[in-house]
This record gives sequence, C-alpha cells and structure tokens, in this order.
Amino acid sequence: MAVSRFGISDEGAPSPRLGPWRRHARLLAAVVGLALIALLAAALIPSGGSNGTKPFSVEAVAGHVSTTDGLRTHLTKVFGSNIPAKQYGTQIADIEDQGVDTNGQLASDLSPLPPSAFAAPIAAYRAYAERWAAKVAANVPALRGALASGNRAASEQSWSVVWSDYLHLGAVYGLLPGTIDQRIDGTPNALPADGLDGEAGTNFSGLHRIEFGLWTGAPPRSLVRWATQLRGDVVTLRRVLPSVQITPLDYATRAHEILEDAQRDFLSGTDVPWSRAGVLGTAAGLTATQEVIGTLTPLLQGRDNALGEVESWLMQLQAVLNHLRAAHNRSYPTLGQLTPAQHELLNGTMTGALGALSLVPGTLETTALPVIPKIPSAK
Amino acid sequence: MSPLDRRRFLTRSLGALGAGGVGVAIGAGLGEQAASGAPAAPSLAAQAEQVNERSLALRIPFDGPNQSGILTPRQNEATFVALDSIAPNREVLFQALQALSAEARLLTQGDTVGVQEIDDPPPDSGILGPVDSPDSLTVTIALGGSLFDGRYGLVAMRPTRLTAMPAFEHDELDPARTGGDVLVQICAGQRDTVVHTFRELMRAIDGRLVPRWTIDGFQSAQRGPTVKNSRRNLFAFRDGTANPDVSDAALMNQLIWVQPGSGEPAWATGGTYFIVRTIRMHVEFWDRVGMLEQEQMIGRDRVTGAPLGGVGEFQDPDYASDPYGKRIPLTAHIRLANPRTPATADERILRRGYNYHRGVDEAGNLDQGLVFIAINQDPARQFATIQTRLEAEPMTDYITPVGGGYFFAPRGTAGGSDWVGSGLSAV
Repeated sequence: MAVSRFGISDEGAPSPRLGPWRRHARLLAAVVGLALIALLAAALIPSGGSNGTKPFSVEAVAGHVSTTDGLRTHLTKVFGSNIPAKQYGTQIADIEDQGVDTNGQLASDLSPLPPSAFAAPIAAYRAYAERWAAKVAANVPALRGALASGNRAASEQSWSVVWSDYLHLGAVYGLLPGTIDQRIDGTPNALPADGLDGEAGTNFSGLHRIEFGLWTGAPPRSLVRWATQLRGDVVTLRRVLPSVQITPLDYATRAHEILEDAQRDFLSGTDVPWSRAGVLGTAAGLTATQEVIGTLTPLLQGRDNALGEVESWLMQLQAVLNHLRAAHNRSYPTLGQLTPAQHELLNGTMTGALGALSLVPGTLETTALPVIPKIPSAK
Repeated sequence: MSPLDRRRFLTRSLGALGAGGVGVAIGAGLGEQAASGAPAAPSLAAQAEQVNERSLALRIPFDGPNQSGILTPRQNEATFVALDSIAPNREVLFQALQALSAEARLLTQGDTVGVQEIDDPPPDSGILGPVDSPDSLTVTIALGGSLFDGRYGLVAMRPTRLTAMPAFEHDELDPARTGGDVLVQICAGQRDTVVHTFRELMRAIDGRLVPRWTIDGFQSAQRGPTVKNSRRNLFAFRDGTANPDVSDAALMNQLIWVQPGSGEPAWATGGTYFIVRTIRMHVEFWDRVGMLEQEQMIGRDRVTGAPLGGVGEFQDPDYASDPYGKRIPLTAHIRLANPRTPATADERILRRGYNYHRGVDEAGNLDQGLVFIAINQDPARQFATIQTRLEAEPMTDYITPVGGGYFFAPRGTAGGSDWVGSGLSAV
C-alpha cells in the first residue's frame, strides 16, 4: 500500500501545455471579463440623464461597477490568500503563466494553508471511519455464521458485505499501527522464497484468506477459524482507530490515493484474483473519496478550480457505478461479468476522475515551495 | 561433439566461409569506407540506407575472456528469455548449453542462409533475408541458482553467492515471471535481429530448455544534447549517469568480474552475477505528480539530468556540502542508490537496463517499466545492499517489481566448440 507522498505543489514549474483546470480558469476569467465589459458598456451608454447623472462621468462608472462587482466579494474570500484583492488577479496570472514569482523563484499561485485548517475535516473523517468500523464489526458475525452453516453462496455474499465495509475506511490505510491492516485485508505475497505458494503461508489471514478459500472450493466450514480471528482483529481496529494520527499531508493525498489504489489493485484484478470483486471495491473507494472531498470542500472552495472538476468527475463515476449495479440485478458485477463496453466506460471514467483528483494536493499545499540551493562552485 | 545437425552445420560453415564480407569487426573499416569514393551529395534516403548498412554490418565478438553483452555499450533492442531445463540428465543439459553457444556464435558473427534440400525445412527461418547480418548482436548466457539443485549433480559447482532472488520489501513477484534455470539476454541494433535470434536459438535447444518467461526491452533514442548524455527511462529521467567506467579494467575487476581466490569455485572466475528485475512503473500515477516532486524523488533535473542545484548531468552532487538534504533530499533516489562515500564505493553496480512496454492491464493502465539489469561481483555486497537502502525512497509508490531473478553469467568462451558454462563439465 502506498505510503504518503510528500505533497510539494504540482504548480512548481511552468508547463508548456495548459492543464484542464487552467483552461477552465481561463474560461472563467474570460466570462468574468466579458461581464465586466458589458457592465462598463452599459454604464457608458448615455442614459438620458436620469437622476441628473452626467453621461461619461468617471465617478459614475466607477461607482456603478463597484456596487455590482460580485468578483471582488468572491476574491476576498479565497481561503488562505495573503494577496490583497486588488492585486490578486494580476499576481495570480503572472505566477500561473510563468510558475515563478517576480524574483524568479519557483512559486505557487496559492498561498499555503495553515495546517490547523485540516483539523475539522480530519475529525469529521475520523468519525466517518469509526462508523464504518462499527459496521464491519456488526457484520463479521453474519459472515462467520454463514461459513459455519456451510452455505457457500451466503458466505460469499457476507464476505462481500464485510470486505466492502472495511474498504469504506479508505483514508486510514497505511496509518494503522502494527500489522492490523495486513491481518484484516492483506494479500499473499507469492514469493519464490516461500516455495511459490504465498496463499499457504502462515501470515496470510483475514478477508482475502477467506476470499481465497471461498472461491477456490474450500469447504466454508474450514474457513470459520479465519472469521474468528477476523473478529478479534476488528476489535483491535476499533480500539486503535480513535488515536490514529492523520497529518494534513496524509489527508490531502488520500483524496486521490484511495481511487488510485482502487484502480491499481481492484480494477486491475490484482488484489481480488479469486472473487474478481473489483467493481465492488472501487465503489467503496469512491464513497471514501467522496467523504474526504466533502470534508475538504471548505478548504478547496475558491482555490483554483479543483473542486468543480473533482465533483463533476466523482459524480460521473458514481453514475457509472450505479448504472453497472442496476444492470446486474442491483449488485456490483465481477470484473468478468462486465461487458467490454461497460469495462471501457468504467476504466475511462476512473481515469478522468483520477486526472481531476490529481489537482487536490497542490491546491491544499501547507508549505511554500522550497528554494533549492545551488551546488557550491565546481570542485 | 557438435550439437548441430551435421548437414546444417556444414551449410553454416560454408556460409560463414563464403560470407567473409558480411560482417565488419567493431572499430574497423568504417573510416576507410567513409573515405573511399566521393559520390556527389547523396540523397538523404541514400545516406540513411548507408548508415543502416553499416550498422547492420557491425560485429561484436562472441568469444573472449568475458562474455559480450555485459560491458558492451547498450544496443537499441533486447529480449530477455528465462529457460527451464527439462533435460533428463546432465549430458543432455550440457548438449543443450553447447547448442545454445554454438548457435549464438554463428548468429552474432553473421551468416549466409543456406538451402540444403528443397523439400526439407530450411535450416534458418530466413526472416532476415539471405544474409543474417550481425547487427551488433550479442547473446549473453547466464545460469540460475535452480540449475544447481540436485537434478544434475551440480550442487558442488554452484557459484558461492548465487541464490534465488530474495523478495525485497515492496516486491510483488509473480512466480511465472521470476527465476529460471538459464537466462539468455539477446541484444542487437534492430528488433527483427533480436526476434530472429530468439527464434533460431529456440530451435537449437528445443526439447531440452523451454521458455519460462520472456520480456522485450528497448532503448530510448539518443536525443542529445551530446552523445555522452544518458538515455531516458519511462519516468523521463536520464538513467545510468553514474555507471562505473567500463573501460577501467582495474575497476571492472573490483566491481564486476569474479576474481580467483574469492571463495568462488574455480570455474566461476571471470564470470559475474547478472541480476534481472522486471519493474513495473505506474506511469499514469507518475504523470499526475508535480514536476518539482518528481525531481525531488529522483534528485535530478528532469531536462538536463543535472543533480538538483547543478547545471550538468555529470556534475558531482557534492552531498558533503548538503548534509540535511536541502538541495537533494536525503531520500532522493540518486542519493540512496549511490551515496558516493569511500565506504560505499565497493557497492557500485553496472546498470544495463532496458525500457519495456507490454500493452495495457485490465484497468486500462499502461504496462510499462524497466527491465533493470544489475551486473556485479557480489549481489549481497552490491545490489542487495543498494536495493535495501532504496526501500526507504518515496519513489516506491510509483513502481512495483514483478519479476526477474538472480543469475550467474560464466566467463567467456575460447572459440571453436567451447561453450558458456563448459567449466561445469570439468568435474
């Protein structure tokens, strides 16, 4: 699983091409510009002298514009900016176009956010994660019961519920202490040193161990022991969850990492080789991502155009998953059940969503770009 | 003695004799050709054709104290083939290895394709036309640790430091893409030369050595600014900048070639450990990372290849003046891989990797990466030490080692009917 990426802004260097968000920013600027021109034109058109205002009066024009300028109000609200509203547009444009400030240093167009701004979003997410951990705990007994009854279909159904519940925790992966995540959701690393059969390894336990057994013909009753162990591991999970440390950097990068991992591990089939439940895992990852973005919305608003892009793409991805679910008797199809057209639609929409999410870490930067010293003169 | 079918062998020999002009030894002949005759301003197409002809004629010796394809400058195209032995006994195994070397010798030196009897299958597939031009072809043969298990009575012959490739922390090794009894590295200027060589080698060893896994590699083109600048990998960074100087024989004896009296069996002297790591690079993930973060993960400027804070690719990063990583982060790839201290000088490896591209995966992501080749005298002292240090680098999020293996490339051949690995038969 991915360890945190250090979140240097992606605005660091000038790009020869405009990214989509930049195009949108430009489009927005153009629209606003046109509106201003229209306002100016309206003000400049002789009005017939109502209220005794002099036509072409500079004061009249300025006053007229300032009372209807929604943009000014908007700019003063940009979170974390320390640039006066009057200078904001030109300074930002320069930095966006060049990627350097007037001193020639690499510069982001956004001022860093104070790390304290992440406290409320992270607290909200922690509460969300604890709710899902409670669901996991509530559903493990049903899984154990289904296994004990020997009913394979019911066991597979129960497994799907618990696995999906666990994946909803999303943003806490990689932060859990010790081997909890490995014990609950670890996959076997098939290693030559282990005789090429990692599934048989003693360290392989948890949900994927049960998945392996269920989908490779093991008697469900033989898997009860793993569900019993899982029950204990989930108790541990719930105990440690309230004290898991999530840094602002971890949290900002989770916005894209959860779905990146879903694409790499689930849609590729890599981590679900037996159940092929890649769509189910992706849907859980999407819910977790929506929660992360939802909690970060107050921070993202007004900073570049990341939020609009992200919300649009997450909605599209949700719509595709809903469509797939509806098309398969209201349960998520396995990767193998997807038609080629459905597979392309899902893969392609995921790619679009990841492109939008890649804007988030740079938008939520908490540190200024570093100044890289030069190597001392040639030795 | 000769593992080749006799008729085929005769055809080959006659062909080789008759084809004296086919190959040009590397380093000879090019100058004279350029100087002779002075046609007025040949067209671009004609020039390109001439360059192509010369490059196809380049010949790299197969025989020599060390195998070729190790210190040899990287050719553009490569295929790596891991083979498992199904030979029932040692004699058959040795015959197969002998056939491998014999065929490799013929193909690398250039050959005229003969037709024996019109109603028989032709001895050469013929896909390169009537002449198999050498095209800088090298065939490098290495042996995996599994060959020295009990099957062939070779346990006592195992090179001392040859083990199965251990799984490092972030590895997700696929058994079907890992290991093998024998590894063959085929490198040449043109893809069709490599493909042809693979095909002919398989014919020479069929029924005895069978493919376990294979992967194709390519070199990024030389795009300057000078011919000295290193080529780029698929993360767009220059790769191989800090390779040890292969023209320094003393250094090669220190880092690459197994020396007598180093605790290795006598037959291993002059060989080297040849490590293959098939490393998937999650390029879409990488492409979503900011430029500055990319550069800080590697420690170099993406365009020039200069260490951060520097101006030229081959500039010393001077870590001593940057103890806290303000210039080049302490976890940057180049810094962990080669700290450039006296204590780590003995850890250096020779890298000879190739980019790979093998389509898309089920999620629609590109399956691209690096066939990382590490050549060294002692895997534990060199490659594994470096690799363990690299487990701490942030770049691990963007790569997944999925296969490869540890192999031992024996010393070169003495010509005639000598074969790579013949030292094993001297028991």
